[in-house]
Amino acid sequence: MHYRRKKSWEISESFVTDEVLFEGRRRFLKLGAAMTVSTSAVMELAASEKLPMPNLHYRKDTNPLGLVLNSYDQIISYNNFYEYTTSKKGVRQLARNFKTEPWRISVDGLVENPFEIDFDDLLNRFTLEERIYRFRCVEGWAMVVPWVGFELASLIRYAKPLSTAKYVRFETLYDPEQFPDQRRKFFSTIDYPYVEGLRMDEAMHPLTLMTVGLYGHTLPPQNGAPLRLIVPWKYGFKGIKSIRRITFTDHEPLNTWQKMASNEFGFYANVNPDVDHPRWSQKHERVLGKFIKQKTQMFNGYEKEVKHLYAGMDLRKHF
Amino acid sequence: MRQLILSFILLQPLLFLLYMLFISGVEDPIKFIYTLTGATALTLLYITTTLSLLRRSINLLRYRRTVGLFSFFYALLHLLNFLILDMELDLVSALNETFDKPFIFFGMASFLILLFMAITSHRSLFPRYFKYHKMIYIVILLSTIHFVMAQKALSIPQWGYLGVMALISILKVLQRSGIVKL
Repeated sequence: MHYRRKKSWEISESFVTDEVLFEGRRRFLKLGAAMTVSTSAVMELAASEKLPMPNLHYRKDTNPLGLVLNSYDQIISYNNFYEYTTSKKGVRQLARNFKTEPWRISVDGLVENPFEIDFDDLLNRFTLEERIYRFRCVEGWAMVVPWVGFELASLIRYAKPLSTAKYVRFETLYDPEQFPDQRRKFFSTIDYPYVEGLRMDEAMHPLTLMTVGLYGHTLPPQNGAPLRLIVPWKYGFKGIKSIRRITFTDHEPLNTWQKMASNEFGFYANVNPDVDHPRWSQKHERVLGKFIKQKTQMFNGYEKEVKHLYAGMDLRKHF
Repeated sequence: MRQLILSFILLQPLLFLLYMLFISGVEDPIKFIYTLTGATALTLLYITTTLSLLRRSINLLRYRRTVGLFSFFYALLHLLNFLILDMELDLVSALNETFDKPFIFFGMASFLILLFMAITSHRSLFPRYFKYHKMIYIVILLSTIHFVMAQKALSIPQWGYLGVMALISILKVLQRSGIVKL
């Protein structure tokens, strides 16, 4: 009987990988190679951009509008934070040792469920998502920032406001130990603590973001760590930083800048090219890093989403 | 020679401006140019006043014209920043803004007086026009108001700056009215 003797190095037929799978393996390897390349490209980008390593879990924003992001470096080195200084370049250095731990936020006023919560518990309670928003400062500069946060609406629902609650009032930390301008008492630049507010329907709007991070990383102190407000269709000063207290009231809160100069800064502060600041025009804006200005958009480009909130209101009077 | 050294010193803010804009990079170029050229122009204006204030103690009057012309030069850069970068050469809206926003109007008025003074500072014109150069005080007043109005809120250093400027102005007034001999 003639039969083939298997050489020691031969393997049995059953060990042979099916062709489809073999092709699949090729594809898998290619994919793996691409992965490595792409991660290293991402890494390279991260290194060159000096991006922080993301430390938050969140749902990414697909950026359907194709907004061009400002660099991380631009966003973290040009800030208005008067508690430290009026110098936008100076904040970063002065704020570098800001203590965000422990950090408790109290939610009180006209609510069924007033509560105090530790910042970390707050992070665990709400689902985070990335929101790439235009940001427009009342001074005429602008940027695009990939914020990370959760809708203020979900926090409000959790607090269960009473029917008498018509407004939400926010307060920044008051801590003269940490904030040099708060130590200057009579000579301080503005009144402290910094106060901001929103009408209930504005606060409940899905665009209004309780913000805890940017570029996937927790907020740096100069950008309002650990928790700030972002209302993308309003001027930046509405986006109160380092929030310690959220109060539900039945009357319109007097926000800090309105208190400072009510002829120049109002309660609503909606971005509007047709309503100039009394001392400068709001028709155009300077995007950080660019020599050329661009046109200011009505409600900062969120007109479709928020126009209905102001139906029948005279935006020149309620600026 | 001394005038050359002085000119070299007075060109430093411009070199710094160019370095920051094109080598180091700034976030908000238009605002940066405004701040740097404006602050330099205004400071140099106050320095010219100080030179005449101190002329009995240290006579540096022969440098006053150079300092004044450099002040005009930085004011010109400031204006060009407004017209070219900020208004993008849209002269109609530049004019609208000028008459609509008081602080821009004050700035424009200051510039026009400085322009007149720069032209008439020439040797052939100065003897006839020097008496009008007292308008520097109008420029100083208007451009200081212009500077204050351009801020959202005044910082401590800005208050300090204004304090020094106020002191110079008060001394100048007292000197002119013969109350103080310096």
